[in-house]
Amino acid sequence: MKKIGQVTALGLLMITTAALAQSKPVAGEVAEGSLKDKTLTFVSYGGIYQDGQIAALKEFVDKSGVTLLSDGPTEISKLQAQVESGNVTWDVVDTGDFPPYVYCGKLFQKLDFSKIDTSNIPEGQISECSVPAMNYGVVLMYNTEKYKDNPPKSWGDFFDIEKFPGSRALEGSGDLSGGMVEQALLAAGGSVENMTVADIDKAIEKVKSLGPDTIFWKTGADSQQLAESGEADMIAMWTGRAMTAVKNGAAYTPAWQDWLVVMDQMTIPMGVKDPEAAHALINAYVGKSAQETLAKTTSYTPIHKDAKPEVDEVTAAFMTNTPDKLKLGYQQNIKFWVENFEVANEKWNALMAGN
Amino acid sequence: MTAGATDSRTAVPAVVADDRRRWFRGQAFWLVAPALLLLVVCLGLPLAIVTLRSFSEPQWGLQNYAWFFGAPVNLTVLQRTFAISAWVTLVCLIAGYPYAYLMTAVGPKMRLILILCVLVPFWVSGVVRTLAWVILLQDSGVINSVIRAAGLGPVKLIRTQTGVVIGMAQVLLPFMILPLYSVMKTIDLRLMQAARSLGASPARAFAQVYLPLSLPGVYAGAIIVFILALGFYITPALLGGPRSTMLSTLIQNQVLSLLNWGRGGAMGVVLLIATFVLLALAAPLTRQPHKTGSRR
Repeated sequence: MKKIGQVTALGLLMITTAALAQSKPVAGEVAEGSLKDKTLTFVSYGGIYQDGQIAALKEFVDKSGVTLLSDGPTEISKLQAQVESGNVTWDVVDTGDFPPYVYCGKLFQKLDFSKIDTSNIPEGQISECSVPAMNYGVVLMYNTEKYKDNPPKSWGDFFDIEKFPGSRALEGSGDLSGGMVEQALLAAGGSVENMTVADIDKAIEKVKSLGPDTIFWKTGADSQQLAESGEADMIAMWTGRAMTAVKNGAAYTPAWQDWLVVMDQMTIPMGVKDPEAAHALINAYVGKSAQETLAKTTSYTPIHKDAKPEVDEVTAAFMTNTPDKLKLGYQQNIKFWVENFEVANEKWNALMAGN
Repeated sequence: MTAGATDSRTAVPAVVADDRRRWFRGQAFWLVAPALLLLVVCLGLPLAIVTLRSFSEPQWGLQNYAWFFGAPVNLTVLQRTFAISAWVTLVCLIAGYPYAYLMTAVGPKMRLILILCVLVPFWVSGVVRTLAWVILLQDSGVINSVIRAAGLGPVKLIRTQTGVVIGMAQVLLPFMILPLYSVMKTIDLRLMQAARSLGASPARAFAQVYLPLSLPGVYAGAIIVFILALGFYITPALLGGPRSTMLSTLIQNQVLSLLNWGRGGAMGVVLLIATFVLLALAAPLTRQPHKTGSRR
């Protein structure tokens, strides 16, 4: 009975899609055979993440007839070289949070939202040059054996070395995390509204006050290793890595207060050969079933409001699109960080280089 | 072009009667042509472009160099890069010298085993070996467990310069042992017996006969290890902390994160020139053994 219902629904959907093909896009849909003999190159960060994204796009590939190539990892410098030389081979690129804001109209083209159905993407995540690729977070993980009766509850506790003695680990993979700097500033008694460049120094001083044993992890695997071996008492971790560490038996628990919202961004570079096809890929990617596949294979949070991936208990515990977690999330002041990208990065990297 | 160069070379009368040079005058030039072409296209050209961009971006001038020498963090890291490389070279030399000597002293079967011991890790990717060092060096790692079992306090190894030097030395050791071995195997061990028979103590025979003869290998190994160490990126990034960041990490950040090719290029040029200066200073040292007659 259920099966028949599904088939009917699918049939209906297909008819509607065909009827609407000329007018309004529906997330996840693409016209049958519409991209036959065409080739698209999708670029992302490799590993299970990109595998999951390719799996999410399988329906799109099968239906549209497109040949989908996979490349990576995403490096903006490589993209820049392609755009400058006028030979762009990357059609859709998954980037970090800042690049589509910093290089909008320069390396990335302004998206044509008449070709992408964005109605199901969470509020405030779309920019002129990008839609989110997925959601995750940076969350405070603490060692439950170390802080038995008095666990830390927020970033304020993370930065309070007197009330919560112990070693800390935070991200030092390269680009600064604006959200983390803002939390450090708040802990230093500053205000995030009307932030100035001088406030960055104040925040960095706060990070320095964590002491010489503070660990700046370089890769996600690095942070996971820190949790599984118990090297740091509190770790600012990506939710995916936190989940894997917990699954592997790390005695760590998240404190969700003000977890930092992070997303990857889907973009289309300037000068791609077939922008139409690239838009079609993104429109398919933000669809419900594509997002469910993505979440199931990667454990990242889907960016479709109604997506309900079937995942195990621990994975579900680290999905950030539940109403209660969305309420606790903290969004960085992306405008400030984009405007002060260079100076902020320089200050942050001086900290990373031990100065 | 290249053919012309060969011709003009043939036309120049030989001044020095050196076997090798005489041989080189002929068609032997073509033997190096593929390597030369590869170097020019894959190294020379990009290097020239990077150098050019260090002067031309964002506009023509010396602003990138002014920035480099104006920011204290750059100078600290440059100095640290050379210091770490020097330590790595020293550690490789101390560990590699006796090992290479042993390779010359044992029988063929044992020698094969020793060579394999050097080469097998060489075939494993540097990243894999570095990650293995993470497991070994971390606070709860193997080395610290042993130290703790011996009743001593934990030693901070990972995310320190010591850890970086250990990891880098392990990766670079073959580059020290192989040149050392190739020189040492040409040293006639009967020279040592001769020195002993003339009344030299073992230590003196080593210091005055063997060591000078092995110096070309020491210099070759030291220079290769030192230069490779200067450009290391993965190992210091994974084994080090903020206080062991090397220049390549800063360059990577400028180019990959900030897309600032001008500054990144300037940092690369500074590192390159500093290396050349250091090599020029070391050059007189490397010539010495030739004069004392190591060639037999």
